[in-house]
Amino acid sequence: METILNTQFDELQKAIEGIKEAKSKGQSTDEARTAATLMFVALKHANREVKHKIKDGRDKLHLEKCKVDLSRLQLQNLLYEVSHLKKEIVRCQKFKSRDTSLELLSEAEYSSKLPDMANDEEELSSHKQHLHRLDCELRLRKELDKQYSALLSSKQELLQDNLSHAQRYVSFAPALRTLQSATKPLHDALQLSLDVEWKLSAVVKYLPKPLYVLFIVLQSLQRVSEEQSFTAEVVGYESEAQMQQLLKEKKYPTLNHRQPETETGEQYKIGKSSLEEALASHPLHICLTIGAAGSNQLVLQIRYFDLIKCATVWGQMNYSSNSNSQPDTNFVHHLLRHLYPNDLGTEIPIPGIQHELRSSDLTAEECVRYLKAKDFGKPFCWLQSMCSIATVNSSMLYNHELNLNKHTKEIIDRIARRLNSWQRLSQQIRGLTYKDIDLYSLKENIYPAGLSCSLVQWTAITHEEFHSQISDVLNTSSGDKGITYNSYRAVIVRGSAKMECFIRIPSNYPMEMPLWILNVHWNGCHTSQNNSAIKMMEFWTNSLQPKHLEPNDHILYAQLFRTIYSFDIFLETEGSMQNTIEYNKEKPYISAFAKRSRSRPYKYIKKGSVYAFKQ
Amino acid sequence: MKQKDLKRAYNNVLAQAISASHQYLFAGNLFGDIFVLRIKELDKGSEEPPGKLKIFPQGSDVDINYLVFHRDFLIVGAVGLIYGLKWNEEEETLDTKRSWEVKIPMQVDAVEVPDVNSMWLDSENSILLAGCGDGVILQVSLEDGRIQREYRGHTDYVHSVVGNTKGQIFSGAEDGTVRVWSTKQQEHTAMLEPYKNPNLLRPDWGKWIGAVAVNEDWLLCGGGPKASIFHLRSLECTRVFDFPGRVHLCDFVDDCVLIGGEHNHVQSYTLNGELQANIPVEHTACYSAVWQTSPIKLMSIAGFSNKLHILKDFRFLDSKIDLYGNVQGEENEPEEDDELIEEPLTIEAA
Repeated sequence: METILNTQFDELQKAIEGIKEAKSKGQSTDEARTAATLMFVALKHANREVKHKIKDGRDKLHLEKCKVDLSRLQLQNLLYEVSHLKKEIVRCQKFKSRDTSLELLSEAEYSSKLPDMANDEEELSSHKQHLHRLDCELRLRKELDKQYSALLSSKQELLQDNLSHAQRYVSFAPALRTLQSATKPLHDALQLSLDVEWKLSAVVKYLPKPLYVLFIVLQSLQRVSEEQSFTAEVVGYESEAQMQQLLKEKKYPTLNHRQPETETGEQYKIGKSSLEEALASHPLHICLTIGAAGSNQLVLQIRYFDLIKCATVWGQMNYSSNSNSQPDTNFVHHLLRHLYPNDLGTEIPIPGIQHELRSSDLTAEECVRYLKAKDFGKPFCWLQSMCSIATVNSSMLYNHELNLNKHTKEIIDRIARRLNSWQRLSQQIRGLTYKDIDLYSLKENIYPAGLSCSLVQWTAITHEEFHSQISDVLNTSSGDKGITYNSYRAVIVRGSAKMECFIRIPSNYPMEMPLWILNVHWNGCHTSQNNSAIKMMEFWTNSLQPKHLEPNDHILYAQLFRTIYSFDIFLETEGSMQNTIEYNKEKPYISAFAKRSRSRPYKYIKKGSVYAFKQ
Repeated sequence: MKQKDLKRAYNNVLAQAISASHQYLFAGNLFGDIFVLRIKELDKGSEEPPGKLKIFPQGSDVDINYLVFHRDFLIVGAVGLIYGLKWNEEEETLDTKRSWEVKIPMQVDAVEVPDVNSMWLDSENSILLAGCGDGVILQVSLEDGRIQREYRGHTDYVHSVVGNTKGQIFSGAEDGTVRVWSTKQQEHTAMLEPYKNPNLLRPDWGKWIGAVAVNEDWLLCGGGPKASIFHLRSLECTRVFDFPGRVHLCDFVDDCVLIGGEHNHVQSYTLNGELQANIPVEHTACYSAVWQTSPIKLMSIAGFSNKLHILKDFRFLDSKIDLYGNVQGEENEPEEDDELIEEPLTIEAA
């Protein structure tokens, strides 16, 4: 445009100069003047164009200005926002969530309680993990809350229930009372004096609680059973019991019975010096007599001790005057000790008693020793179960008997049965020792033709003497289990042959049978160690089990007869091979030997009237 | 005394057998129990104790007099019958059901059911010879269980039967004779009476022959009379052994002679009669010895005690293995509670 204008100006100047020159020269200028005027038109045109362009430029400028203004505004906005966000950040940083004050489950607990949720958050950030945990815990808490409210409502219901039941029972009372008074004439007519009976047992109510339970159970059993197999009575004076109770209350007026731990603890802190005082038994005890009147009776004295919280039993025999038996009281001890297996009464079976005794500076062993020394007996588990005392036995088995009636009856029956077994056994031993029995006429003597051997001696020997016998049998007994033994020696003779029998009677008889060890002295000494025939013989004697016996058989006699027959058969079969025949075949057996072991016909077989000995 | 202790104290093992795979040892006793021992357990090294045995009771009325193993059967010689039990090697179990049974025929005049005292197996021909309590030797075909023939002649019960590959059968019996039989002849072909030889007779112990063994040239027997060797063709006594007890067990082992019986030792002699090994045993009497040389070399001696005596080199005692009290699952058995219940005691008036 500029160049155009410039060229136009140049052309115009040239034209003007041309005109001027022409004027000066005097030439006509009109032509030039019109041409120049035309040039003005072009100039004007160009001017207009310039004006347009300027306007254009202004418009553009305005537009740009507007744009600039807008972006400036935006910038301003952004700046404002930044400052706002900064403020926000500061606020966020200062923010404290309430969850930090919450007590959360530990990591382990969390993963154990909500295992399914804990698994899939390995890759999550710690914050998200935390959130997840919070979430889960919220759920858990909600559930627990639900449970809690459910339990609360059920508790409420039960309370309501109790209340209504109690009300119903209370409403019974007057009805019962009227019923009782109504039946009074009937009582009189039947001569049932209920009141008197209760008065008789007034002393009973001073019994310590466990003994009271026992006594009531025994009374009820006694009333139910027809034959009088046992009697129970309370021994001691009512006044003494009352006195003790009073003393106790006086001494510790502030302590009531709901805090027995502190009671015993303080009461016996001083008690180390006087174990006697601490372990004083209750002035009342129960005396349980088993066995019918007039026969030999077993008297059990059952005492209760507050300190060790259990009952003890001491037994002794009460021999009737009309029986000719000599007192042999050892077995009472065995009987009680082995009434139940693993219940030897050597420790106090009350849970936690060790700990309680420690607080009063005592040990359980000390107490048991003291009880034994004072003839108070032993705290057997079976006795506690009769008194409804919970026990823990040596193998940490907890037991609390609740069916007292049945259980107590079972125990008493068991004692009576064992007593009978032991009495019979001691009678047999006595019979053998003093030879006041006729072996040949005894019922167990199954073989009608009689015996060829004879029992010449039966004596008690010491444990050591018994154990000087070498035998496999002694090595194979399974475990000790606190069993002790009484040993005897019997001598059986036939002709020049002699047999020594060593008999061991276990203290847990009749759970275990007497054990026999046999030695034959005839052409040298034969034992189960060097002669298989003797070993088989010994087996045959020892294998006699209770189930093989007939009712009214005597175990010891039956074993003795088995041994004697076996000895006869041994001699007769062995004798058949000897050069000088001392023993002839007298017993009916088919073959003297059988099998590769050359076993002998020790077994007695009877079929109808035919009998024989067989392998 | 408890039943359990009684069995331990008076366990009498009369029979043993080794499985065809040479991996298992069977031992049967007079209480009717069969024990199974995994032989591998003995080869584990001395540190760890051998594993427990398995027990397969056959009933208390079954006396296990003799055991033989054939293919996958354990053959039991009991009283009056022989029966087979299938042995499942994978599961290590004996079938409780008897796979087959062969009843021993009763003689017309017999009063007792005869024992099966000894068995000898001809595994090539699947023939079993059984020496019985009535003095008869039965030849049983294991293919069909048929009794093929009887060898009669002994006047008392048979203690021991063995055969050889030449079709000869040798038997020793309570009547004091050793008889040689042929499968082709009705009567015995030869008879020995060791008790008639004053060098052999031990007068107080009787004439019975408790055990017989043979190899290619020699016959070994003993019992009440002393253990001695006879030449097979001439039947001359060539060697007497000094074994001091009654003989219930004798055999040729390698180049030696193994003799056992009612004595506290089992002895091994050379053929010349020299004592080579004197093995102390706990058995009151030994009744059975079985051995193998591969894959694990071992010998087991059993008898009237609760233990198996294991020898690895056949000369020295290696270990003793308890039977009762060493059985899988025994601990879980409930304790028996057998009480004597007696009638109440009545007191006679004084």
